[in-house]
Amino acid sequence: MPLLGITALSKEFGGLRALDRVSFTAEEGEILGIIGPNGAGKTTLFNLISGIYPPSGGEIIFQGKSILRLKPYQISHLGIGRTFQIVRPFQNLDVETNVLVAYGHRFYPSLWKSTGPFRQPGNLREVQTLIERTGLRSYAKHLAKNLPLGFKKRLEIARALALQPHLLLLDEPSAGLRFEESAQLMELIRQVCDQGIGVLLIEHNMHVVMDLCKRIVVLDHGSKIAEGSPEEIRSNSLVIQAYLGKEA
Amino acid sequence: MLWQQLANGIAIGSVYALISLGLTMVYGILRILHVAHAGIYALGAYVGLFSFRLIGNFWLSLIVGMAGAAIAGYFVERLLYTPLLHLPRIAPLIVSIGLFTALEEAFRIVAGPHTLAYNARVGLGDLSIGSFHLTETQILILLVTLAILIFLWAFLTKTRTGLAMRACAQDPETTSSFGVNVSAIIAVNFLIGSAMAGAAGVLIGVYDNQVWPTMGSIPAYKALAIVVLGGLGNIPGTVLASIVVGLAETFFIGVLAIPFPRDAVAFVAMILVLMFKPYGLLGKA
Amino acid sequence: MISGYLVTILITIVIYAMLAHSLNIITGHAGQISLGHAAFFGIGAYTSAMLYTEAGFPFWTSVPLAAVVAGIVGALLGVPCLRVRDDFLAITTMGINFVVEAIFLYIPFFGGAMGIGGINLPKWFGREMTKPEYFFLILVVFVFFLLLDRQLGRSWIGLAWASIREDEQAAGAMGVDVVRFKVLAFILGSAIAGLAGGFYAHFLTFIMPQNFGFGQSIVILSMVVFGGIGTRWGPIAGAIILGVLPEISRPIMEYRTLIYGVLLLGMMRFQPGGLLGPESILSKTFQRTIYRLVSPE
Ligand SMILES: Nc1ncnc2c1ncn2[C@@H]1O[C@H](COP(=O)(O)OP(=O)(O)OP(=O)(O)O)[C@@H](O)[C@H]1O
Ligand SMILES: [Mg+2]
Repeated sequence: MPLLGITALSKEFGGLRALDRVSFTAEEGEILGIIGPNGAGKTTLFNLISGIYPPSGGEIIFQGKSILRLKPYQISHLGIGRTFQIVRPFQNLDVETNVLVAYGHRFYPSLWKSTGPFRQPGNLREVQTLIERTGLRSYAKHLAKNLPLGFKKRLEIARALALQPHLLLLDEPSAGLRFEESAQLMELIRQVCDQGIGVLLIEHNMHVVMDLCKRIVVLDHGSKIAEGSPEEIRSNSLVIQAYLGKEA
Repeated sequence: MLWQQLANGIAIGSVYALISLGLTMVYGILRILHVAHAGIYALGAYVGLFSFRLIGNFWLSLIVGMAGAAIAGYFVERLLYTPLLHLPRIAPLIVSIGLFTALEEAFRIVAGPHTLAYNARVGLGDLSIGSFHLTETQILILLVTLAILIFLWAFLTKTRTGLAMRACAQDPETTSSFGVNVSAIIAVNFLIGSAMAGAAGVLIGVYDNQVWPTMGSIPAYKALAIVVLGGLGNIPGTVLASIVVGLAETFFIGVLAIPFPRDAVAFVAMILVLMFKPYGLLGKA
Repeated sequence: MISGYLVTILITIVIYAMLAHSLNIITGHAGQISLGHAAFFGIGAYTSAMLYTEAGFPFWTSVPLAAVVAGIVGALLGVPCLRVRDDFLAITTMGINFVVEAIFLYIPFFGGAMGIGGINLPKWFGREMTKPEYFFLILVVFVFFLLLDRQLGRSWIGLAWASIREDEQAAGAMGVDVVRFKVLAFILGSAIAGLAGGFYAHFLTFIMPQNFGFGQSIVILSMVVFGGIGTRWGPIAGAIILGVLPEISRPIMEYRTLIYGVLLLGMMRFQPGGLLGPESILSKTFQRTIYRLVSPE
């Protein structure tokens, strides 16, 4: 059974087909690359999986169960964490508190547990481990809005990891980062995946994708135009056309 | 009887449209709930009235009232709203409420707490066909509203500035990247919207033959309800909602004689519509 | 002894502080703009007044029931409010206020424009409470709410509210059940406002629809915003300052509305965090002074 199974998934925005009958699967401990030109529907795909929009058609199966009708918070409780292409940390909370918000997912469902204080040594310890792992230690008490972009992106990953996810959706984590920053981030992603977490990685930087992913799905104009290993993708004429056609 | 109520309802709805259009335009471009817009409306009425006393000509006083309102609107935008755009949405809203309360008090202190008569002779005459009767001021309201609506439509669809304004409402960043001076567009937006509110103030002043400090109170909130009903920032939606509310009020009170406060009709309509269409009659997500 | 006039002002201020505090839960903590808070104040006042005068309930049950009813109505009205956002929410809550006021005014059952009279101060030890005693009673209740607020601020509930206030969609993606926590804020805020309404009715002894109109909502909101939205002490400071100001001088009383308007306007324009907001001059000076005291170097 695959970790995530997507079948004929579609989304229309008032006549515009942002996603058109896309199907693929993702496995545990795998980094699946999602690439495609601007406006191909990559972010829309993430928004459907994380429940922000209802799809117009199709099916999403996570760990053998349909998550089609679930709300975003329910989906996150099942173990799907995400980051946003345009970073959205809780700007006026510090790094530690940002991560705590997601860590609290185990308390929120019970009203009684929710009344308990969140700054408990046990909670803080686990959150600090995550902060350390994502290289944010020296920023733990900084407000998110004061972080440089690279660290905001790390914070989003730390926050998503606090959900103890089985699947992580990363939307262009390296965009806007300097080369070393991006390299460190990729190392982090590799570690995450080594723990058995499945990763869907949207990425514009071809070197990064080819380096990290054993399998890649290519979207263009909402449709899946190719799927395969980096070598197959590199030599696929449809993919070349989609990218060149854009530039020509 | 029915036609009469229809005409009365449309006349009231027209004035609502004049007030609400400025509000919806401001919202469309700045995303601010401009409560003080109704203060501008009352200001227009006062400026119109005082200039009428000086000049003695209604049409000139209408123009002066509109100009006064436009200038005031311009300053509100430059001095209060634009500097606050980077703050959370509640900040400009509260400034607007504060400004509105202060304006009403200022009218009371400057012009006195009493209602002042605005008995201008317009020179149009009443219209009677059988039992159907339109007063001179109703005809005036319908004519002026129609003229302003046509002007607005032509401006928004036929001129470059109008097009730029609509583009700004859609996406200010992209618009400015095309070399449009967004700041100037916002100013024009406020000038036009406020002038319309000023016109509405003068028209209501003449229609009710009175101008008073808190004349903006009810329009302030009713216009907000109308604007929301029409789909915040949506110009055709606002005109539609204005007429709907004008008619609903006239029919509820006049025909069905339901003992319900006239001024709550707009809110009941708004809450009901929002339950089914969270973005208003013609609004989009 | 405390003079009667002073006690009246003190009671009024605690009631306003309670209202500002309760609105702060909805608007400050959970980030949901409400322009109709006086509606719940009114629902509480009318509930306790009707229970007391019509159904013969004593103060000690009518006032808690006022909180319960206001809380339930808050939950019911919270549901439509959840369907709309930001500016739509602001206007919807304002509309609710107008409609609630209209219901009190036009439905004869609620006494119409004449309102409801004959509500008395509570009895204890076989006699009617004195006003100073009443003041201490509501002060104790208010202190309890402040402690509760502190507890909530440290709890997962408070954290969930903070995340919703910051970014609703991101909060949902991080496991926060946005609807549930928003409704919780509406219930809590409305219930406390309803309780304040009960206290108010028994203190004034008669109530009228106009006491609970949109203007009143703005006064409450002014206090929250003036003092510092989202802070614990700001709304209280706002209630004290804006509540006392008109009482200390006649000219201020005369131009009270103008002054309120200008204060709000000036505050937002130049100090949008409010008097005790995190970035206000006052807070910064305070922090600097503390810092100097602690480290004299
Ligand atoms: N909420 C929305 N409403 C309307 N249209 C939308 C919405 N979200 C996305 N779209 C449209 O759907 C299409 C796909 O957008 P999407 O953001 O998924 O692309 P993308 O592949 O992530 O592009 P990029 O590489 O630029 O991030 C675009 O045409 C976009 O304009
Ligand atoms: Mg994208």
